[in-house]
Amino acid sequence: MMARATLTEKELVLPLSVVSRADVGQLTRELEALESAVRRATASKDDKPLPTSRLLDDISAQNKLNLLQPADRAALKTFLAMISSKAPLLHFSFSSDPSPRFLAKLLTWLRTEIDDKVLLHIGLEPALGAGCVLRTTNRYFDFSLRQHFEKQGEMLLSTLREKAE
Amino acid sequence: MELWAVIAILGMLTAAMAAFIWLALQLHVTPAKTKSKEQQYAESAEQDVEHIFNDEFRQELRNRGRLHFEKIINENAMFLQQDLRLTTSQLNQYMKVEITQTLQEEFSKYEESIADAKKLAIESLEKTQSAIEQQRQILSEQLQKEVAEQKAHLIAVFEQNLATIVNHYVLAAVGNQIDLTDQLDFILSELQANKKAIIEDLKLGG
Repeated sequence: MMARATLTEKELVLPLSVVSRADVGQLTRELEALESAVRRATASKDDKPLPTSRLLDDISAQNKLNLLQPADRAALKTFLAMISSKAPLLHFSFSSDPSPRFLAKLLTWLRTEIDDKVLLHIGLEPALGAGCVLRTTNRYFDFSLRQHFEKQGEMLLSTLREKAE
Repeated sequence: MELWAVIAILGMLTAAMAAFIWLALQLHVTPAKTKSKEQQYAESAEQDVEHIFNDEFRQELRNRGRLHFEKIINENAMFLQQDLRLTTSQLNQYMKVEITQTLQEEFSKYEESIADAKKLAIESLEKTQSAIEQQRQILSEQLQKEVAEQKAHLIAVFEQNLATIVNHYVLAAVGNQIDLTDQLDFILSELQANKKAIIEDLKLGG
């Protein structure tokens, strides 16, 4: 049982709907609730379908897990615990609330290029205007339009000087 | 007429009066009685003389002398009046000439003083004008220098804050029209450019 869980931890992947640690926490709570519901259903021999959320459906569907099976639930629980404690966290700040479609594309790129278990923390910074700011554990990356203009300052100045002359 | 001429005329009048008085006194002198024949003749002649020159004759002489004296007095008074008029006229002329000359000298001095004062005032004005011009020149140079410095400062500040200004302008102009989805390519390109640094930082962990 433990061997299967360990193997599953390495093979399981996070769906794009799981973005933040809050989502992981929600999945953990739902999984515990499901565990209790399964136990109650087994005890009462009730065939009524168990209620699950979209997040839980996504992660079980993407990883082809049968959450009625205790082993799969255990593997997912272990995986979620590992994600909650060890997954890299990136703090993004945008000028406005990003749409799910935008987040899905960004997360796809991050999990492809950076780390397949990366989680995001989204913040708002209206003064940014355009672009974003990324804060990792030890560093700060300014991808805002203002920073871009500062990098291109010489070009702007040279253009203005040409126009002025 | 000069003063000495007046004094001379007055002297002549005084001498004439003295001669007349002396003559009148001589006429009243009583001759002494002679005891000799000659004296008797003389007394007789004297009596005849007195007979001839009686009181009426003497009175007549006195009257004639008074009239003559009055005539002389009137003539001299007339001469004196003419001399006085001439003297007054000459004195007026003299005073007129002297006063005119004095006034001309004073006016000349006054004109010289005015000319000197005018010259001093002009020099003072020229000095003041020169000083003002110098101050204006200095102020102009200082102002130009300060304007140039201020201009350079403003340009430097503008260049330093150019990115912020352009960013502010772009956001104010089209900020509401820029969707995050439209920025995705820009964000992904920035992430791609810093991919290595991000991965290294994540590996280092917290």
